[in-house]
Amino acid sequence: MKQISVDVGGTFTDCFVVHNDELIETKALTTHHNLAVGFMNALGQAADILGVRDASTLIAEADAVRYATTLGTNALIERTGRNVALLVTAGYESSVPLSRGKGYGVGMPPQYQADVASASRPEPLVPIQRIRGVQERIDYKGDVILALDEANLRSQIRELVDVGAQAFVIAFVNSVVNPEHELLAEEILLKEYPSHMLGSIPVVLSHVVGGRKGEYVRTTSAIIDAYLHDEMFFGLGSLEDVLRESGYTKPMLVVHNTGGMAQVNSTHALQTIHSGPVAGVSASEHIATEFDLGNVVATDMGGTSFDIGLVVQGGVKFYDFNPIMDRWMVNVPMMHLVTLGAGGGSIARYDRMYKTVQVGPGSAGSDPGPACYDRGGTEPTVTDADLILGYLTPEYYAGGKVQLNPRRSKRAFEDRLCGPLGADLLDAAKLVKHRVDLNMANAIAEEVRTKGYEPSEFTFLAYGGSGPLHCCGIAAELNIERILVPPFSSVFSALGAGQMRHMHVHEASVYLWLYNATRGHLLEDFSAVNAAIDELEARGRDDLLRQGFDDSAISYSVEMDMRYGNQLAETSVESPVRRINSLEDLMLLVKMFSEDYGIRYGAGSQAPEAGIRINSIRVLASVPSVGISLDQPQVAQTKLVRSERSRPCHFVGHDGPMDTSLFSVEALLPGSVIEGPAIIESPRTTSLVEPGWTMTIGHHGSGWVKRG
Amino acid sequence: MTDVHTHEQELLKEFLAGATLFLGPDPEIMLDHDIAPISERERGALDRVTDTHMAGVVRSRVEAGVNEAFAMSSQTGACPGARWGDSVCGLFTANGDLAISSNGGILIFSVLTQHAVKFIAKYWIDDPSVGVRPGDGFAHNDARYGNIHNTDSSVILPIFHDGELIAWVGCITHVGENGAIEPGGMPTIAETPFDEGLKMPPIKLVENYELKRDLITFLQNSTRDPKLIYEDMKSKLYACIRLKERLEETITQYGVDPVIAVLRGTLDDTKEEVKRRISEWPDGTTRSVAFSDGTLRENLLLKINLEMRKNGDQLVLDFRGSSPEFQNRSINTQAASMKGMLAQLFLGYIWPDLPRNQAVLAPIEIVLDSRSVLNAADEVPNAQSMMTFFFGYSAGQVAVAKFLYSATNRYTKILAPWYNMIQTFIYGGMTQHGEPAANLCADLNGMSGGARDGLDGENAIALASCAMSDLGEQELSEEENAFVQIISKKIMRDNQAFGKYRGGQGYQMALAAYESTTWGFASFCVGSKFPTISGLFGGYACPAYPLAKVQGVDVFDTFKHDPGSFKWTIEEIMNERPFEGAVYSTHHMGFPFELAKNGELYMCTQGAGGGYGDVLERDPAAVMKDLEQELISDWTAQEIYHVVYDPSSFVVDPEATAQAREAERDRRKQRGVPYADFVREWVTEGPPADLPFYGSWGDREVIYAGGYAGQPHVRMRSDAIQDVVVPHPREVRIASLEATVAELQAKLREQ
Repeated sequence: MKQISVDVGGTFTDCFVVHNDELIETKALTTHHNLAVGFMNALGQAADILGVRDASTLIAEADAVRYATTLGTNALIERTGRNVALLVTAGYESSVPLSRGKGYGVGMPPQYQADVASASRPEPLVPIQRIRGVQERIDYKGDVILALDEANLRSQIRELVDVGAQAFVIAFVNSVVNPEHELLAEEILLKEYPSHMLGSIPVVLSHVVGGRKGEYVRTTSAIIDAYLHDEMFFGLGSLEDVLRESGYTKPMLVVHNTGGMAQVNSTHALQTIHSGPVAGVSASEHIATEFDLGNVVATDMGGTSFDIGLVVQGGVKFYDFNPIMDRWMVNVPMMHLVTLGAGGGSIARYDRMYKTVQVGPGSAGSDPGPACYDRGGTEPTVTDADLILGYLTPEYYAGGKVQLNPRRSKRAFEDRLCGPLGADLLDAAKLVKHRVDLNMANAIAEEVRTKGYEPSEFTFLAYGGSGPLHCCGIAAELNIERILVPPFSSVFSALGAGQMRHMHVHEASVYLWLYNATRGHLLEDFSAVNAAIDELEARGRDDLLRQGFDDSAISYSVEMDMRYGNQLAETSVESPVRRINSLEDLMLLVKMFSEDYGIRYGAGSQAPEAGIRINSIRVLASVPSVGISLDQPQVAQTKLVRSERSRPCHFVGHDGPMDTSLFSVEALLPGSVIEGPAIIESPRTTSLVEPGWTMTIGHHGSGWVKRG
Repeated sequence: MTDVHTHEQELLKEFLAGATLFLGPDPEIMLDHDIAPISERERGALDRVTDTHMAGVVRSRVEAGVNEAFAMSSQTGACPGARWGDSVCGLFTANGDLAISSNGGILIFSVLTQHAVKFIAKYWIDDPSVGVRPGDGFAHNDARYGNIHNTDSSVILPIFHDGELIAWVGCITHVGENGAIEPGGMPTIAETPFDEGLKMPPIKLVENYELKRDLITFLQNSTRDPKLIYEDMKSKLYACIRLKERLEETITQYGVDPVIAVLRGTLDDTKEEVKRRISEWPDGTTRSVAFSDGTLRENLLLKINLEMRKNGDQLVLDFRGSSPEFQNRSINTQAASMKGMLAQLFLGYIWPDLPRNQAVLAPIEIVLDSRSVLNAADEVPNAQSMMTFFFGYSAGQVAVAKFLYSATNRYTKILAPWYNMIQTFIYGGMTQHGEPAANLCADLNGMSGGARDGLDGENAIALASCAMSDLGEQELSEEENAFVQIISKKIMRDNQAFGKYRGGQGYQMALAAYESTTWGFASFCVGSKFPTISGLFGGYACPAYPLAKVQGVDVFDTFKHDPGSFKWTIEEIMNERPFEGAVYSTHHMGFPFELAKNGELYMCTQGAGGGYGDVLERDPAAVMKDLEQELISDWTAQEIYHVVYDPSSFVVDPEATAQAREAERDRRKQRGVPYADFVREWVTEGPPADLPFYGSWGDREVIYAGGYAGQPHVRMRSDAIQDVVVPHPREVRIASLEATVAELQAKLREQ
């Protein structure tokens, strides 16, 4: 197997190369002016390690090139997308600007959400001047109430072009049950501005981007898709050009945030948002299966954020049906991820009322960064606490790329925390360390428990720059006994990209009572639900056939979003049957829904007495791909190793300094057992084995950290 | 002699205890807004738990549990209130004080549930016919036992540890339908408490963690939407069970003392912090007044009077001089409800960083006239209490802002009043799917924000009592309900409270029944003649908003046969009257439920937040931005803001603008009169005889009531308020018609 997997992040381009039996990880700085440069730099490093002539040779020989990126997320945050114009149903012109009211706080921490007096909505992606209502209306079941007024539409289009529209989103009410008007509007728009003319304008239709009801979230999905289209098109295009120039003839594959992948020409820009972190969860899923880890909580702690993903046994997948992208709620399904504003840069402050310390949500970010970065930051941060406690080597942080200044950390702590806390420097730093670990543990606990599980049943996967440093503290709070620092953890998302299957997800809203409580009727006519599945499967099949797959290779999975009565909650159930053909099939589905619901909300909480509805149907059409086989992290031959180097470090729950061994990861062989307290340094991260924990080094930089 | 007397008193007490006919609302519970005296158990726990950092850890665990329970109730609740954020979860001490409330949801709900918890603790624990045991759960909805109104209902569970009652958990939701005289749960035509639907004092609805089917059946049988009642009670019960489990896990990990200490300590710490923050304000007195223009049945002028006095760490909110209660109108507020809304004011708009619990109000004294509309008796209806307590809250916003302007520390921005009325439609009937339904549109969550010091207000952003409330999705609503919002979210031009910083703007709604012959609408708010909120520091008040109707038309038919004739704003529809033969009318927004014919239009407008500062100081560029976005008209830009610009390019002429503004300042001076002249011209002894006026006129100890429908003004002492009864609108109408008939007959006789 020869495979290249890439994760282009805001700072680094990570590369994971499978070259016959060799697995190589490399990193290079992301080159925003031309992504191909950073990509080739990372690949060049891999070529050097493998002894292959150059990056182009690696590309030419590759069976597949897979690509995950956070570029879309960055473009959204930096507002570098194009001028999108929006056509909506007349009477709904303010739906997007008003963002369901709560849009001011979506994607923001609870403290911001609570302070409505200070709240401001984010700068819009489509300003009011570029929104126009079109006289048309379709009802809830798809009947036309008001025919589309073509003259009105033409005049609105011209006005929008005059105010600088560079792309159009057409989002009409109820278009998911009848897209006739959106299609007609597109046809008219393309007639006015034909695609072969220089003045052509791309058009995104809301029903194509999202298949479920909810006019605001669907419109927002389409806006983000249109907004990012150029950025993603040119970014991915520059990479594809390099691949072609290097002799690669197969299609480049792009990771989707649904947890699957597809060719560039079968990818919406929207599907690439968060695809990097999602690829990390995908890698966790692969590792959980391959290493038989059971349930896994996957965590990625960086400088400013802490991502949490769950992988549980039994094939249960967690999706967000209304995920947040930057500060907008959308309605395309995305693999479930929770992101907290907690990381090395999180700022600690004195809580006067409770006479204790709070950490976050404020962050010093990377600029100015923690006080010890010596770039002007004066606030005490988590990284400063880690430095004060002795966990970080000032001259070897990030492999020596950042020189830490301990005096700055000390000053920040003394100025802002020690006095009010009445604590000395070390106790204050311990409080900060404990607090941030607790915050993250609470977030994990909430995440796991709301899904109906217990944290102690999980294996804790810790990756990202700061993850291995805090994993023992977090796990201790959660009563988790074992932590895995996974192989290739510093390029973990790139590794995940290499494990994904080709997949397309299609959804449709339906209004279907399986059990109508008012009338006491069970559904008897299954034709509507089966017809909807037929259509969704056909769309998935078309997507995959277009990419050259054989019909027989495609497998389908059907999911139903179900609810009791008129609830908001939709529990997604993987249907045990692909079609409902009998009462028996129906009861199987009802039973599965009841079980899933009971796990999530408590046994006995089910309310079939209020009726059972299907609200939407989702079909996952996929073709499996060959995964990368990894060596087990457990090593048969283990040996306790000791280091000649050590320094005093301070730990939560322990008075006074403890002599802490120092290791360099390069010097540790698989099977090495390290007793805490110990520090293992690598150019990319620092692992902390706290007292009472033991770490066993595995292959490819992996390590099991266990209690005792 | 004394001994005999004492003995007799005890005998009497003993007799009465065994012969109490009815355990009505307990004034001792309902009128006390301080936290309960510390118990020995709490004191012991606090003495034993001295590590503030460990307490912080426990607190964050407990808070996470409360938030999880809230998220769960929002997900599993069936009523729009739960689905769009109008609910809350809370954790109460064994004494019944609300110690920790969920981050999301309507705080006032949980603050007011303290009274119900205290009632259960006081009366049911030792009552052998009720009792409080593990696995029990209670429900209530009656505002007289602690609530805003009886459309909201609770489930409350006691938490035991080793047989000891250590806390309570509660989940409260705006359910909607409650069997009142009108569908949807908030009747405007209720004349007695018995017209307002189910009135549950705290009752045991749950045993062994299961809903008692007989009682649930009784509740279902008493309302129009049995499915909703069942599903929401169950949702709340399981949210409470989840919170109970989280609390038990925390106790297992940290012990019971830290949990008890955290609950009590959070209250004590909050109370102390509030006193400290009050002391940061300058000493002094501020005053504020607000007027409601009706009772939902007729237009009257109700005064809400507030004097706020601050001295050191003492703060007094004195509402004396406000309108008297109404015997036969549902707009009366219980004192506890008013205080709950004030807790919301301080925690939402003054100190949003404080923990969400009831202690925020504990150090603050609140003075209310007995039998005033803000401190109504139990015998008068209260389903629409928002119509008066929102005014108390808005008056509070203005009075506090005056202190904050000179305060040494602020914890959020100084804010002009938030829009304060429930501008939405209630709907009810049989849906297109043959299901009974009765509830309200999520548009109530679209109140606009007031302008801030340095910032415009946000357009239609959140219910005044609920951050992160949700306007929902119309496609989802129309799937379940038999109406179409033809104009759904469209900001109304010039619907703005002007100012140096303008208030947020509201949007217009036009809807029509669709595919049902038994579907209807109602609305319930005031402010169609007189603005419900004022501006701040020279900013404008919000506009007034009528209900508009077009009957005798089927707009769906119009869409088919003459689509071009439809107009897409209320302004155009009502001014241009595009549908031939249709009847156009405007009304105040207290609009009782009526069945609607398919295609008839019902229209209302979400309100604007208050303006801040002088319009002549508004940045002309901000005026142009609003103009370009069609939020304001050229007239407003020119006549209100006095900006001179090129209408085709929106380019401002700075010099001409400065001149225009200077000229306007000169005109202001010309219009002005010396204060003494103003007083001479405007100040009168009492209200004009033909002004329907309720409240104090000058002296706050003298209350006026009357001036409506030929009723003379009654003048009464504020401590001796008499019954105020307003005639039925039908009687007023009959009297008016009879007078007309008599007049015409007299003319005929003359002829």
